[in-house]
Amino acid sequence: MNEKEFAHRLKPWLDRSAADVGELQATRLKAARLRALEAAQEPVRLLGLVTVSAGTARTLRYSVVQPTLLWLPLAALLAALAFQSLRAPDPGEIDAQLLTQDLPLNAYLDRDFRAWLHEPQG
Amino acid sequence: MVARTAGLIAALVLLVLAPGTHARDLKTPQTPWYNLSSEQQRVLAPVASEWDRMPGYQQQRLLGAARRYPDMDPTHQQRFEQRIREWASMTPDQRKAARETFEGLRRLPPEKQYELRERWLRRHPNEGRYPR
Repeated sequence: MNEKEFAHRLKPWLDRSAADVGELQATRLKAARLRALEAAQEPVRLLGLVTVSAGTARTLRYSVVQPTLLWLPLAALLAALAFQSLRAPDPGEIDAQLLTQDLPLNAYLDRDFRAWLHEPQG
Repeated sequence: MVARTAGLIAALVLLVLAPGTHARDLKTPQTPWYNLSSEQQRVLAPVASEWDRMPGYQQQRLLGAARRYPDMDPTHQQRFEQRIREWASMTPDQRKAARETFEGLRRLPPEKQYELRERWLRRHPNEGRYPR
């Protein structure tokens, strides 16, 4: 007898028994079925480093990955603002330095001087 | 739900980063001369007559520069006093160009900066009207 024939013969017995199952037993069976399905799922390899069960992978996805993705734009905003404030020098500082350098202000407007800045350095 | 919230946060990010410096500059409110401290009025005295006509962002830049005045050595203080009127009379484009040149110069190696300064001063011997 092959697997298909066995299932075919078993089904009426299971159907008959299922009709007699109470609510509590049905709930337990349902929970057991879910556990069995979970256990039967293929384990998942995370980032090619560790192998975890499918259930653990799902938990990680909902409790770690999704909240992280949610806050990622906010973190990017904060990082961008921090970067901007670090990168943009205080204009008052630049003006104070410009006003106190040994070169007069005319020099910084002189076309030749500006061109010299782009000379190849030997 | 998660995607929607993430989208909203991303939109917020763009909204915050979108306005440029120019827009922020134009929004800077003016500070009346009488609101300056006596120390600020003393340092900025060379530009007192023009102060109330200056846009807010220029006033803030000058106040930022003036804030550093007490920490400068006497030579720098003298240069500051001599140049501030000229600086205030320059157009915004000229000041922007001068800042860009200054920052370009600062990015060069110190020996190159020195060489360019010396070259310019040799070419313009009459510009030595500032203390060196």
